[in-house]
Amino acid sequence: MPEEVKKKRLTDVGPHDYHDYLPPMVKKNYGKWAYHEIMDSGTMVHVAESGDKLYTVRVGSPRLVSGSFVRDLCDIADKYCGGYLRFTTRNSAEFLFEDEKNIEPLKKDLEKLGLNVGGIGNNVANIVHTQGWVHCHTSASDASGVVKSVMDELYEYFVEEKLPSKVRIAFACCLNMCGSVGSSDIAIVGTHRKPPKINQERLLNLCEIPSTIASCPTNSVRPDVTADGKQTVRIVQETCVFCGSCYTVCPAMPIADPLSDGVSIWVGGKVSNARTKPTFSKLVIPFIPNEPPRWTKVTEAVKTIINAYKEGGHPGERVSEWVDRIGWSRFFKITGFEFTKYHVDDFRLAESMMNYSAYTRL
Amino acid sequence: MGKKHQTPLLDELKKGKWISFVREMERAAEKSPRTEDLLGQVEESYRDKITHWKHGGMAGVKSYGAGMVGRFSDSPEKYPGVKECHSMRINQTSGFFYNSDVLRKIAGIAEKYAGGLLNLHGATGDIQILGVTQAEAEDAFQAYAELGFDLGGGGSDLRTPSCCVGPARCEFSNYDTLKICYDLTREYQDELHRPSFNYKFKLKFSGCSNDCVASASRSDLAFIGTWKDNIKINQEEVKNYVKKFDVQKYVLDKCPTKCMWFEGDKLVIDDSNCVKCHHCINEMPKALKSGDEKGLSILIGAKAPLVTGPRMGMMLVPFYDVNEDSKNDYEQLKGLISNIWEFWDEYGVSRERIGELIARVGLVTFLEGVGLEPIPEMVNTPRTNPFIKFEDEDAAQ
Amino acid sequence: MTDEIKKKVEDKIIGLVKEYAGKKRFKPIDLVKEMERDFAAEGLTKDDIKGVLKDIMDEGKLVYGYAGGSFLTLPDEN
Repeated sequence: MPEEVKKKRLTDVGPHDYHDYLPPMVKKNYGKWAYHEIMDSGTMVHVAESGDKLYTVRVGSPRLVSGSFVRDLCDIADKYCGGYLRFTTRNSAEFLFEDEKNIEPLKKDLEKLGLNVGGIGNNVANIVHTQGWVHCHTSASDASGVVKSVMDELYEYFVEEKLPSKVRIAFACCLNMCGSVGSSDIAIVGTHRKPPKINQERLLNLCEIPSTIASCPTNSVRPDVTADGKQTVRIVQETCVFCGSCYTVCPAMPIADPLSDGVSIWVGGKVSNARTKPTFSKLVIPFIPNEPPRWTKVTEAVKTIINAYKEGGHPGERVSEWVDRIGWSRFFKITGFEFTKYHVDDFRLAESMMNYSAYTRL
Repeated sequence: MGKKHQTPLLDELKKGKWISFVREMERAAEKSPRTEDLLGQVEESYRDKITHWKHGGMAGVKSYGAGMVGRFSDSPEKYPGVKECHSMRINQTSGFFYNSDVLRKIAGIAEKYAGGLLNLHGATGDIQILGVTQAEAEDAFQAYAELGFDLGGGGSDLRTPSCCVGPARCEFSNYDTLKICYDLTREYQDELHRPSFNYKFKLKFSGCSNDCVASASRSDLAFIGTWKDNIKINQEEVKNYVKKFDVQKYVLDKCPTKCMWFEGDKLVIDDSNCVKCHHCINEMPKALKSGDEKGLSILIGAKAPLVTGPRMGMMLVPFYDVNEDSKNDYEQLKGLISNIWEFWDEYGVSRERIGELIARVGLVTFLEGVGLEPIPEMVNTPRTNPFIKFEDEDAAQ
Repeated sequence: MTDEIKKKVEDKIIGLVKEYAGKKRFKPIDLVKEMERDFAAEGLTKDDIKGVLKDIMDEGKLVYGYAGGSFLTLPDEN
């Protein structure tokens, strides 16, 4: 009999109640934290009104991890943290514990596992990024490989606090910008440079014409008729901005191209409201070709930006505040990046981007 | 046993000090033939400089239109293990808190039913499991559901809401981000699992204006903690900070409205001119705390570039008393969200985010539609151009 | 809502998706709006129709598709 009783299918159970996973000290001092102090680039302590102290050790993560990686973290959590652990909004893992004496042994155990401790304070934190060639069909570049290469180069800035303020780097493999990288101190964005190629035969079967036309931000997808009288679309090459939006809607318009795809680099975005308003990152390098496996030109460009900021930024200044103070003309001079016609905006807000003043740094 | 596919280019990415995703893929591949093939296909992308994922094709579980993303290899004959390699989004916990027991189980299910690879976490906040096939999707889903975890959002629906660490471990938090994120996610299960919007809609909750979930740059509604009354000053602690660093230079001079100054060694703040930027509190957490009348600001319309360009969230509601409203099951907030969705349903077009709709019809039209009054907090400055469309009834008076 | 009206709404929704298969992708909200108009005389609300739609999906008579945005499609059309 019992084997005939079918298990009820579960749906809409919703997210798991987070209370089940809050460490006891967090539960006890929930909403009653008094202050925190950064002890070093990988450790901080939160002190509660009750006087309780909660230590946090943070490790970087490639975000794309194996089940074994998860079990590595779990073993550490069991050994030092009563089994509790959490992740940050930038995909780092954090170990929370009460005994200060555990800081050093915990860090040693993490290092033995090949994990990098750091990312707290005035340094480069974990890079948030997208799937790239590992798991995305619209990507103009890989994500994990570029991020790994950049972080290898910037390793010293993750494990030590050596910068004027925090630097948030993000990577998106196309203009969909999953993860909204566009307001980071440094954003690296996968970039196509050729219009989509239409596969007429597939388009007729796969795509809805009106929504494909509507997908274009520059009205470059136009209705058309095939030789045998069927409804289709054409691309106005002159106005296409290679965003890939039409490909998202219509799979018969692939845009990826190994010869012309690569990345662009954007600087000076900020999400926090502290001191200055949130702002988007601005274009500094319109295009760097894909150079797997190490993307050397990308890592060099990022290092150039970091070095210039380290040199010129005042203590406490985010990249955006530093550039605001010195001006973009000097930014291009200092970094040696070329200012081109591509840097002048010609889209929706273009008019608001010009310099309506006599201000100039000569 | 040798590797199934040679990966000389990816092997280069095992070198260096930063933890390598290739190492992680190889560890997963030890147990999963499909992840072995994934390594092969990614190596081919590294050679060809192009993605080998095909566009098109669906994956999902019955009755849900969200929570899985279909992925099909364009070279299934070479890499049969990734012919289907879908991802499954698992709704994360509020604040990303877990224990080792549940994380091991989550990883175990990912190894049993998928490729043993996970994203901790995806860009929106979900845990993502890579390498699910349609045939195993239902079993994987039910295994997670029995563990008390559900799928996340996707497609034209309410995307999985997410929040900062909030009061669980941060003294800056002005409201309980974990609670409201959890409560509203449960409230809107139908909107999350069964896409019925014009396009995606995101809710993100940050406890203070440092905005650690980047709500104001990527969520259609951003909830950012704030306070109404005065910053609380501990003058003794201010003196301690003065001994440690140049408070005038690094705190007062950086205040965007210059609303704080010293009278003797006493710190004075003109709170009526404070814009809640949070800089001074960040710098002197022992000395300064936000006030007692806590709540949050609601910003609307942020989004990434597609389709008509990126947008930052703009001020919609300067102060919402979340603590009071949570006692009434968020009646007031749910009313506002419902009005916004109604307006969007009625006037939005396919793939138009709410920020783009507001830009298209104008803020005032939107405000009238959802029953809010225009207030100075919503604009940087009043208009500077004189092309005013006076309404007849105003002109008659 | 009587079972009879529910059946009518269901048939109409599935009929529309069938009729326009390959030509038009119906967003759920478009169908809800259309049914709201068509069944105004029966006094059906948006929520009533959303309920019918949920049942259709639960029974697998239609499934969700995705191409930039979500739409409804016939189960064998994948």
